[in-house]
Amino acid sequence: MQIRFAGVGGQGVVLAGVILGEAAAIEGLNVLQTQDYSSASRGGHSIADVIISNEPIYDVMVTKADVLVALAQLGYDTVKDSLKEDGLLIVETDLVKPDRPYIGAPFTRIAEETTGLALTVNMVALGYLVAKTGVVKKESVEEAIGRRVPEGTEEINIKAFRAGFEEGLK
Amino acid sequence: MRYPFPVGRSDFIQGDEAVARAAILAGCRFYAGYPITPASEIFEAMALYMPLVDGVSIQMEDEIGSIAAVIGASWAGAKAMTATSGPGFSLMQENLGYAVMTETPIVVVNMMRGGPSTGQPTFPAQGDLMQAVWGTHGDHMLIVLSPSTVQEAFDLTIRAFNLAEKYRTPVVILGDAELAHMRERVYIPNPDEIEVVNRKLPANEDEAKLPFGDPHGDGVPPMPIFGRGYRTYVTGLTHDESGHPRTVEPEVQQKLIGRIFRKILDHKDEIISYETFELDDAEIAIVSTGIVSRSAIRAVKMLRERGVRAGLLKLSTVWPFDFEVIEELAEQVRKIYVPEMNLGQLYHLVREGANGKAEVELIAKIGGEVHTPMEIVERVVG
Repeated sequence: MQIRFAGVGGQGVVLAGVILGEAAAIEGLNVLQTQDYSSASRGGHSIADVIISNEPIYDVMVTKADVLVALAQLGYDTVKDSLKEDGLLIVETDLVKPDRPYIGAPFTRIAEETTGLALTVNMVALGYLVAKTGVVKKESVEEAIGRRVPEGTEEINIKAFRAGFEEGLK
Repeated sequence: MRYPFPVGRSDFIQGDEAVARAAILAGCRFYAGYPITPASEIFEAMALYMPLVDGVSIQMEDEIGSIAAVIGASWAGAKAMTATSGPGFSLMQENLGYAVMTETPIVVVNMMRGGPSTGQPTFPAQGDLMQAVWGTHGDHMLIVLSPSTVQEAFDLTIRAFNLAEKYRTPVVILGDAELAHMRERVYIPNPDEIEVVNRKLPANEDEAKLPFGDPHGDGVPPMPIFGRGYRTYVTGLTHDESGHPRTVEPEVQQKLIGRIFRKILDHKDEIISYETFELDDAEIAIVSTGIVSRSAIRAVKMLRERGVRAGLLKLSTVWPFDFEVIEELAEQVRKIYVPEMNLGQLYHLVREGANGKAEVELIAKIGGEVHTPMEIVERVVG
């Protein structure tokens, strides 16, 4: 499965991709994660690709995405053509106005309401994605979060992830 | 021995990180470097890990100093590595030759990016193939390896140290910006699962007196270690078996350089490694190395689905080059395609190997993107 996260710098798009990849690795799946970002640390587009498979992975980036998670209009506009025709589009509904069918929620607002921090939007979106697709287990992601986020922020990130997961089950 | 990262299990890490961890498991205890995209993460990892394994990681004033420090550390007995990218690799060329001439085991990693000059710092390329082989001046011989996955980056780094130690030679690892930064699931073995080779030390005073001799007939002299009791002369000038400069006698130069070539070429079957994929009945072959090999494998699968009998020869060793295996391949197939992320370097080696027995066609690509499998397929089917 090819999953692409697209947003702007500062939204934690790459970290979301890394954590999803780590979760897949924990489950013993083959996984590849690459990223593409502009040189700006905030504001430029930021793309994270994750490919998960039972087979060896030869691609070095997403060629035709099965799922596109768009957290900002700039990110969406940059890579929207890479989503398969019948692919799943998940968007931050306050920040992205897509020109094709989609699902989603106001992830940033949910982040603020759950943790008080808009920057946990990446974990909310990741939770939503995992609930909708079942690409990896919830528990694997929580273990991956524990390994990858800065020490002391595990709880707040898992809280945001669970809020997104609950939203995705609705 | 405790390691500052988990061993005996899989992890999800970048190519750069895999190189650093492999180096430590291979016994590397000295790293000197200067930060440069896309190799900086190797340095970051070494700065973090080295103090935890009683090793040393230092930032030098530039890449010239970095490789010089690594050569010095090796003569002090440490397994030593530096890592860089194009511009830094250019600065290292002079001392790479010094390492060849003084037969110093070191590992130099070049995570290739678009060039020449500062070029495209964040984008992958394969423009340094010929530089890795022939970048330093004078007749010389060294070993160049090229991984295509994060697991191979790990495995070939261990192999690089083992080859450097076994043949007393610098070994270059040619990665690229894509491999440096991509994360994949990698198995990090337990130390007892890894074969680690250590350099030959002088068995007695007679051997120690001839640090550039050939007492075992394999072309590889035992290497005395500074501070362990012998007086040793090390110079980049042409030298005799004792290490002293002898710069005007043709036969001294012939003997020394001849042995530096021979110690590697006589063992090339052991040094050269490659993988084949669907080659047995192939009438079309692709020859590749490094990151492009991933697209080449996919291209072979796509070509087979279209009924084209295609196969792949994926080179893990770029130098010494196996001209014979290419000639055998050229006798078997109708045509050989060489996809590479430059305007033609490996292509020329393959053409020389093919020796006119099969047509060889270059599939060149520059700009910073790896060939897509379809780009290769389209060239093959026309």
